[in-house]
Amino acid sequence: MNTEAILAANLLPLIIYFGAILFITAVMLGGAYFLGQRHRAKAADEPFESGVVSTGDVHIRFSVHFYLLAIFFVIFDMETVFLFAWSVALKESGWFGFIEALIFIGILIATLIYLGAIGALDWRTRRQRIDTSQNSR
Amino acid sequence: MNADQLAALAPIITITGAAIAVMLAIAIRRNFLLASGVAAGGILLSMLALGLAWPQSPAQVTLLMLLDDYALFTMALLLVTGLAVLGFCYDYFKDREGENEELILLLLTALLGATVLVASSHFAAFFLGLETLSISLFALAGYPINRARPLEAAIKYLILSGVSSAFLLMGMALIYAQSGELGFSGIGHFIANQPVMNTVVLGGVILIVAGLGFKLSLVPFHLWTPDVYEGAPAPITAFIATVSKGAVFILLLRFFISTDSYGYNPLLSVFSVIAMLSILGGNVLALLQTNVKRMLAYSSIAHMGYLLVAFIAGGSIAPGLVIEAVTFYIVAYFITTTGAFGVVSVLSTPQTEAGDIGFYRGLFWRRPLLAGTFTLMLLSLAGIPVTAGFIGKFYIFTSGADGRLWGLLAAVIAGSGLGLYYYIKIVVVMSMNEEATVRKAEESSGARISSATLAVLSLLLIWFGLFPDHLVSIIQSVSNTVR
Repeated sequence: MNTEAILAANLLPLIIYFGAILFITAVMLGGAYFLGQRHRAKAADEPFESGVVSTGDVHIRFSVHFYLLAIFFVIFDMETVFLFAWSVALKESGWFGFIEALIFIGILIATLIYLGAIGALDWRTRRQRIDTSQNSR
Repeated sequence: MNADQLAALAPIITITGAAIAVMLAIAIRRNFLLASGVAAGGILLSMLALGLAWPQSPAQVTLLMLLDDYALFTMALLLVTGLAVLGFCYDYFKDREGENEELILLLLTALLGATVLVASSHFAAFFLGLETLSISLFALAGYPINRARPLEAAIKYLILSGVSSAFLLMGMALIYAQSGELGFSGIGHFIANQPVMNTVVLGGVILIVAGLGFKLSLVPFHLWTPDVYEGAPAPITAFIATVSKGAVFILLLRFFISTDSYGYNPLLSVFSVIAMLSILGGNVLALLQTNVKRMLAYSSIAHMGYLLVAFIAGGSIAPGLVIEAVTFYIVAYFITTTGAFGVVSVLSTPQTEAGDIGFYRGLFWRRPLLAGTFTLMLLSLAGIPVTAGFIGKFYIFTSGADGRLWGLLAAVIAGSGLGLYYYIKIVVVMSMNEEATVRKAEESSGARISSATLAVLSLLLIWFGLFPDHLVSIIQSVSNTVR
């Protein structure tokens, strides 16, 4: 008996299993479709058939302010992974590795200064920023 | 790493330093002129650093990079083009509202990726360079984020570029699985020692070709090109068309020569089909366009096809001649394409791209110098004598004839004929009488840097067209070092 034959024999229960899933799903959905009632009333398509009628658009715009924060976390988190790799091989990489890591950290610090200067780390909303500047005046 | 290797790496280190310097300059004082100035200074310094690296070449710096004469020459080409694009960007974006300084930063990181790409001799450097280049380009293409077209261009480029990177990685993985090597020379040894053709390696190489085909916009993989070219700001389009494509093509050439993949005959048939489709498809589709940027996009597809003909000839002629032909063509293509998109960029503003052919109606009467430059660039693209494009096309013919690729040469001739029609069409539109059209009040003023750059490009174009000997001898001396 070669390997392919063994595989085919093992596959049979799986095939039966998938067939059973399809059959049960078809019975459940099909049964509801054929046996169930049909409502054509206007309110039938509302999310809630009782209670307050909803108003407005669901496509509201909301601030992605914390998205920036999440991205910074991911980026700087990834950078630390490289430093972990260096710390494990600190002795082996020697002074050369040390200087390379220093350059790497230096670039990271430059990035941080840049992010601070352009106000990306200030996670107040624009509204709050305006309020604070008015209060301090 | 010792001092010699550091010196060899100096151009790349300088360009990295320039990017960081621009970032800090933005942090200290947000000023577009300051950022552009720092970037221009950085690129110039990097060119000076090429002089520092020249005596060291060929230098293998770690496993990843091989800085030989050819790599340094192409780096110089990329840096000069980057400088020209920086000039166009300055004029294009200087009057735009909002924060434009990061554009300069992204331009430098893209340039860094391209320079790493042409010097890479290892899959890791290859992929890192390519991704540094591509990721900067997504942001550059979509930089005017509040307009629909650039955003569409950026998203399309992002998705398709991501897919092509996946192909590339899969190809690299297949080759690594068979050979256990990531360096180009190691793979070359492995392939040379194989008694019969290894189909898994062949599959890997084909996947890599597909991935690079996306970046080069060769025909079955070209669908993104017109939309991205049309949507991206004109100077950025110039950058995508030249630096990005040129660097990828040089890498492809280096990969093939150093791994000696020319031995795989089925691969050359694949390339022949791709080249044929690119030449015919690009030219036929360019005929149908009414938008100048889209037309130039399709024509760039065709030009990549021409370039591929010289590349395929490497199957039967000496690699030195192939590199010479490809490099000369790339130099001519860089000058011409930068110039053509530079004219588009001078006519465009961040609000309206000068894409529609109506913009060019009567340009000869309004701005004769600009129209003259554009005509020159278009004639060079068509391969008319006296321009560098002619010498480039001559090289393609020579290498194709040496390699006995008669079918492909027929396609090149047919493509050039078609090309002539739509290039001349623009020239005709530009010389039409202006009274017939509504005069547009789009006189952009003070594009002095762009004008100077365009003048230099035109001079170079004619110079290399009339006296190519000097450039040819330089290219010959650098192309003999590649192995």
